[in-house]
Amino acid sequence: MRNIGTVKLLIIIFVLNILESFIAPHLINFYISLPITFLVFSLAIYNSNRNSNPLFAFLCGFYLDLISSSPFGLNAGLFTMMSYVINSYANTFKLFSYIQICIFFAVSSVFYLGFKNLIIGLDNFSYSVLFVSLFFNTLLFLLIAMLRYYFPSMSIKYD
Amino acid sequence: MSRVAPTSGTKVLYFLLIIISGFLIYIDLKHKSFEGIKNFYQSFIISSSYIFKSATVEPIKLLYQISKDKNELINENKKLKRELDNSHILNFIISNDSKFFADDDSINRFLDINNINEVFHLAKLEYFDTELYMCCSKHRAFIKTYKNNKNLIGSTVINDMGIIGHIIYGDSLSEVLLLTDIDHVMPIMSGNHFCNARGSGKPGKITCSYNNKVWQEKVSIGQEFYSSGMGGIYPKGILIGNVSDIREVEENFIEFDINLVSSPIVKNVVGVLESI
Repeated sequence: MRNIGTVKLLIIIFVLNILESFIAPHLINFYISLPITFLVFSLAIYNSNRNSNPLFAFLCGFYLDLISSSPFGLNAGLFTMMSYVINSYANTFKLFSYIQICIFFAVSSVFYLGFKNLIIGLDNFSYSVLFVSLFFNTLLFLLIAMLRYYFPSMSIKYD
Repeated sequence: MSRVAPTSGTKVLYFLLIIISGFLIYIDLKHKSFEGIKNFYQSFIISSSYIFKSATVEPIKLLYQISKDKNELINENKKLKRELDNSHILNFIISNDSKFFADDDSINRFLDINNINEVFHLAKLEYFDTELYMCCSKHRAFIKTYKNNKNLIGSTVINDMGIIGHIIYGDSLSEVLLLTDIDHVMPIMSGNHFCNARGSGKPGKITCSYNNKVWQEKVSIGQEFYSSGMGGIYPKGILIGNVSDIREVEENFIEFDINLVSSPIVKNVVGVLESI
């Protein structure tokens, strides 16, 4: 997934946005919210060899705002912020273990959810959703991170 | 390869973009300024998916539907053919043996109860003028036996309730003179009292008159009368009816009505006893 092309990323975001809209109504029954598009974008920035342009993150978020019918600027701002954080601490992350990185992404996703809920409507804000999502996302990322140990061929392919 | 941390110029750009994002959120939430763009995008997506579906999925669905319809038609055709065959079989049975559906159990039961050991032929009521039966004195029925071409003139006709009359003319159809016909006379009895009952011309009723000098035993309402067998047509001992009305018509002459237990209009299957 290293240095993924812009068009490819936009297509992936488009498909994942549809997938997210299908999954979200089922997951919310268990107080879980999984921002797939945000996480995939973050992963793409994280895996990139070089720092991405802030405008790229902004436009990607803007594109997601358009296709997901969320308020314009919401994803643009959050994607830009995430891009800034990842680019700023890209070298620091190399010192982190996988668990720490998984926790970082889980916390980021919860921050994204909380901020999104605050902007879209306070009625949607729920601490239980945030805590359960944090727990679920951390476990999910750990499982995904462990896959490379059980399926080494995947890590060779993507690294 | 290590990544370079954002320079101050890049940081300013980040900050600027975040400010712009905040501003966009504000004007979108406050003034709904981007509704038009969003609606345009949604309508574009819906139209595109519709066109895409029409161009790809619909033709395949149509082909599938056509093949399915064809299969359904074949199955329907097979089903209809099967039903037609069944119908042919049923028609064959009916046309060759119309007695197939006739029920002779009730008549057998009636004969057993009355200890009649006569041979009987099952017949169906072919024609019966109910208007004539209700209004006038001529009470006739026309019957046809299922499997018998014998001459049955003079034979008793019964149904599961009792005697309804006897055959007076036989050809392809047999004409039955009913008990209630005004021309019909039947010797009946009750104990030691004998009487010739004549058809009253009224449905379900026959009339009997007697000289009370000859028959001194009194008749009472509800008294049961049976066939006496004296006329040589009807078997003896079958319940005919009950006395319903008694009147003195002349000096020493008593007339009484009997309500019949049987009725020719109850069933369209009758039994014809071979002449005794």
